[in-house]
Amino acid sequence: MTTQRLHPRVRIVWILRAILVAVVLSAPVGGAAYLEFLPLWAPIAVGGVLLTLGTGHAIARYRRWRYEIREDALYLDRGVITQVRTTVPLVRIQHVDSRRGPVERTAGLASCVVYTAGSRGADVRIPGLTPAGASDLREELKRLAIRAEGEDAV
Amino acid sequence: MKLAPQSIPYRALQKVSGVVLVIVFVVNDSARFGTLPAVGLAAAVLAVAVTYEIAYYRRFEYELTADTLDIRSGVISRREREIPYRRIQNVDVSRSILQRAIGVAAVDLETAGGSETEGAIRFVTPEAATSLQREVQRLKRDTASADGVETAASTAPDEELLFEISPRELALVGALSFDGRLIGLLVFVGSGSVPVVSGLLPDASAVALSGVVVAGIGGLVVVSWVIGAAVSFSNYYGFRLSRAGDELRYERGLFRRYSGSIPVEKVQTLTVTDNPAKRALGYATLTIETAGYAPGQGGEGGNQAAIPIARRDRVYDLAREVESFGEPAFARPPRRVRWRYGIRYLIVVSVLTGVAFGVDRFSGVDAPWYAAALLLLAVPPAAHLQWRHRGYWLGEDHLLTRNGFWSRSVKAVPYYRIQNVIDRRSLFQRRWNVASVVADTAGTSSLVGDDAAAVDVGTDDAIALRDALTARLQASLHDRRSRETGFEWVDAETVSPDPPTAVDGDSDVDGDADDDADGDADDGAVRERE
Repeated sequence: MTTQRLHPRVRIVWILRAILVAVVLSAPVGGAAYLEFLPLWAPIAVGGVLLTLGTGHAIARYRRWRYEIREDALYLDRGVITQVRTTVPLVRIQHVDSRRGPVERTAGLASCVVYTAGSRGADVRIPGLTPAGASDLREELKRLAIRAEGEDAV
Repeated sequence: MKLAPQSIPYRALQKVSGVVLVIVFVVNDSARFGTLPAVGLAAAVLAVAVTYEIAYYRRFEYELTADTLDIRSGVISRREREIPYRRIQNVDVSRSILQRAIGVAAVDLETAGGSETEGAIRFVTPEAATSLQREVQRLKRDTASADGVETAASTAPDEELLFEISPRELALVGALSFDGRLIGLLVFVGSGSVPVVSGLLPDASAVALSGVVVAGIGGLVVVSWVIGAAVSFSNYYGFRLSRAGDELRYERGLFRRYSGSIPVEKVQTLTVTDNPAKRALGYATLTIETAGYAPGQGGEGGNQAAIPIARRDRVYDLAREVESFGEPAFARPPRRVRWRYGIRYLIVVSVLTGVAFGVDRFSGVDAPWYAAALLLLAVPPAAHLQWRHRGYWLGEDHLLTRNGFWSRSVKAVPYYRIQNVIDRRSLFQRRWNVASVVADTAGTSSLVGDDAAAVDVGTDDAIALRDALTARLQASLHDRRSRETGFEWVDAETVSPDPPTAVDGDSDVDGDADDDADGDADDGAVRERE
């Protein structure tokens, strides 16, 4: 399997999330402006900056995200500020979920969560898959995990 | 088998003693009621509790079957639980002072699954607790062998004493167990008295005030040191570690006695820690970690120390007895990261100086704020030391990492225990062209972010390390599997007349008995019916 990227629509999900964060964080500033502690442009500026940062982060994140199923491991490369590359040996996979949150459903996307017994990387989430892609990936990983186990048992 | 009958009144009192006390005090003191209703009410509550506990006692049953430990319990909702022996990680027995007085002990059985204790037996007699511990070990060994009825394995292995704490070492544990967090706690508790003190010193000069502050800090250090010493003294009093077959057994505690067993097969990581004081005296601490749980974590400082303190060479000998990792030769990070640490400390010192200056400027206290800048002198040695004490080493079967120049820890992770390999590069690490490689295991300390990590390795080395770790995991898994299978085959031929079934049984056993003891969290370590 070659290196896979996420579905481009995942950017919409992440940008929506960034908008939500920007709104929540600039709400107190807005309140202060409403009560005339701060000038009126303050909430707009704060919201704008947060939105720009959030959107930039979402786009950079999409550009960066890659995953690949190699011969004996699942390999993930992600993270904008801290780059994280995780190697999950297929033998270590405990179970695999595919799931769809409410926002993901509106964007017509799904994600796949891989669980290992490790504690830090115990669950690895691959977002931005099509629903069919997520189930396929789940089945594929399950098959490979069983095969890896079987190979070793012989 | 049943619980100890003494557990009925003990459990009842344990549950309702608080309520009873409140009733007696509140109702007794109120004008409308009096002593009689208070006593009556308390007696009623006690009676209900005792009745419940009698029912609990009658309903609670545990049984050692051929391959599972069955626990049937519950008064209102009944629960039947079967724990396969080979999934059991630790068996711990603890007895507080009161429990020792009335002759009961609490037994906890841990599997890798779940965060809570899977089998809690409250309470049995100490003899029953010990025999349960031994019996589980014996049955576990039997089920681990191919057919489970082999006679040779049924005899208990000899117990070989590995370590017993000497009075000198116990004194050292106490003296050296300085816990900085206690100071924080004491400051928090004591902060209420600050207005009182400043009220007593109305026209305090800066010198007097600094004197009080210095004396206060000194007092705090001494008090927290004494408390820490007392706690670890009572924790490790009479500590002994022994090895019986494939199990390590420990005993410790002055007021509350703990004893437990750690199966060598299930060990995830070994950690050797020391601090400057221990290093200077040539001592170190060894911690053994199994999956999903730390022995003795029941509140008592969350300690899981296998060896609280011993001579460094002895600690390493004992560690090698459990995991033979050989003589490590650590590779240090590239020299350039010293600049990174230096800059980091420089920022910390500037912030401190800034705060001191701010306090001096705005509070009117005429303190020598520039004294904080003296810390600058400590920056270069600190950066150098931090670099010096970092490192990693790829042994034949183990990854060893070393971190921390104050409280230094050396971690040994067998390759076949690795769950994930994570390579992280923060924005700042990328500037210095370095990365951190974390080998994640199913051990407990990794829950608090204390994984074995090769920190600030050059990027190329990090990539090589990451690949080497995954490759060696595969190799070691393969190795162990083929060794196990080979062994099972011999076993099957000599013991069982029917090799194919024995092999079948093996492919079922291996998932756990060998490597992913850690991993069985989800495949039904505990079968349960409610």
